[in-house]
Amino acid sequence: MTEHVQDELEAYALGALDRADAERVAEHLGVCGACRHEAAALAEVVGTLPDTVAPREPTPALRDRILAIAGADIRPLLPAPSRRWSFGSVRPTRVAFAGLLAAVIVLGAADLDAYQRTTAIASQRDQLYGLLESMRQGGREWYMAGKDSFAGAGGTLYDPRAEGKQPFVLFHDLPQIAADKVLTIWLISPDSTWARAATFGPNGQDIQAVRINMEVTGFDRCAVTLEGSSWGPRYGAVVMESRIAPPATQQ
Amino acid sequence: VPDLQPADDVLLSSLAARDLGALATLYDRYGRLAYSLAYRILGESEAAEDVVQDAFLSAWRGAATYRRDRGNPRAWLLSIVHHRAVDILRRKTTFRPAPLELAEALPSDDDTALAAEKNVEHRTVREVLETLPQAQRKTIELAYFGGYTHVELSELMGVPLGTVKGRMRIGLQKMRRALERTR
Repeated sequence: MTEHVQDELEAYALGALDRADAERVAEHLGVCGACRHEAAALAEVVGTLPDTVAPREPTPALRDRILAIAGADIRPLLPAPSRRWSFGSVRPTRVAFAGLLAAVIVLGAADLDAYQRTTAIASQRDQLYGLLESMRQGGREWYMAGKDSFAGAGGTLYDPRAEGKQPFVLFHDLPQIAADKVLTIWLISPDSTWARAATFGPNGQDIQAVRINMEVTGFDRCAVTLEGSSWGPRYGAVVMESRIAPPATQQ
Repeated sequence: VPDLQPADDVLLSSLAARDLGALATLYDRYGRLAYSLAYRILGESEAAEDVVQDAFLSAWRGAATYRRDRGNPRAWLLSIVHHRAVDILRRKTTFRPAPLELAEALPSDDDTALAAEKNVEHRTVREVLETLPQAQRKTIELAYFGGYTHVELSELMGVPLGTVKGRMRIGLQKMRRALERTR
């Protein structure tokens, strides 16, 4: 075993060793449980020092950038998608579009009638206006029909063409689910990797929009499952799904 | 809807399983703190964002290698941020050590204490830090936020290396005991 390093553990925890010394200490920690235990305890103390720092906000784009890069890690290496938009495998979503438009109108009317009595309604209406605008600007869309207990429900995955617009799924007629369950939207790559794109619960409305925080490109299926947990791999039953046009079929 | 706030350990397991939602939650939980720390060390927003991006992607790609016996997930993530930021600071600082007065001024935020006071947990840590004798507190702050090695601090503060190590050891021991009493 290498020589014990108790004398340097505090400096190591504070990051106050030069590279060579830090590597020597790290090497020792790899083989010495006692020093590793002490180093972990010191790391937890040092880990509280950031709490003394004045809080600052990063730009919102940072979050999107991190998730986009991480998302690219789990997508398979595929040819760059064609810029031509293919609608050969797309089901039109006039019903969903009309439903969204109706929801905006209803919310607008409700807002007028109530003379802006709640900011919640205005906020929801603004969000729907934003989604409507995304749909007006065009994009790709795929309809997922509900099955089994979700028969009659459905959702349209919408990938806006406009730069910087986030994909979303516009659901209709979602049934209520058990209190200990959640619905999860998945994007599935050609090698059958399931990536969790969003987790949510039905809000009881006829139309419900759920934004997803991943790019659609590179995946060839989407699905919604009923899960017992908001985290981890897929275990639940698929309640709706659809193929989404892979890049290879867009030529 | 069941609990939407999984423990940090669960989030890291999900990261290892390539769950982007877990990464989003981890960012929502610690992104601001990570950025605040990086900004405190570097003093530049663009460089601080680069560090945070690098740290979260390192966590994403290295979650499978995380070991609980080397610290909790929060401390692990913040240590990545800290190491990245200090690396940058050391690369771009051409003259070290600076005069002590300048070194003390460099990493400071005028509003640090005031802003940190707004959060009870942060206030506790701040109070614990402030109970330390000034020499111990300055040694810890200059090492952690200023990026100085203990050898540089010895020269900067004009004291033997053993004294610097002693200040670090006693200061962190006091913080450890004080924090344990508050938990």
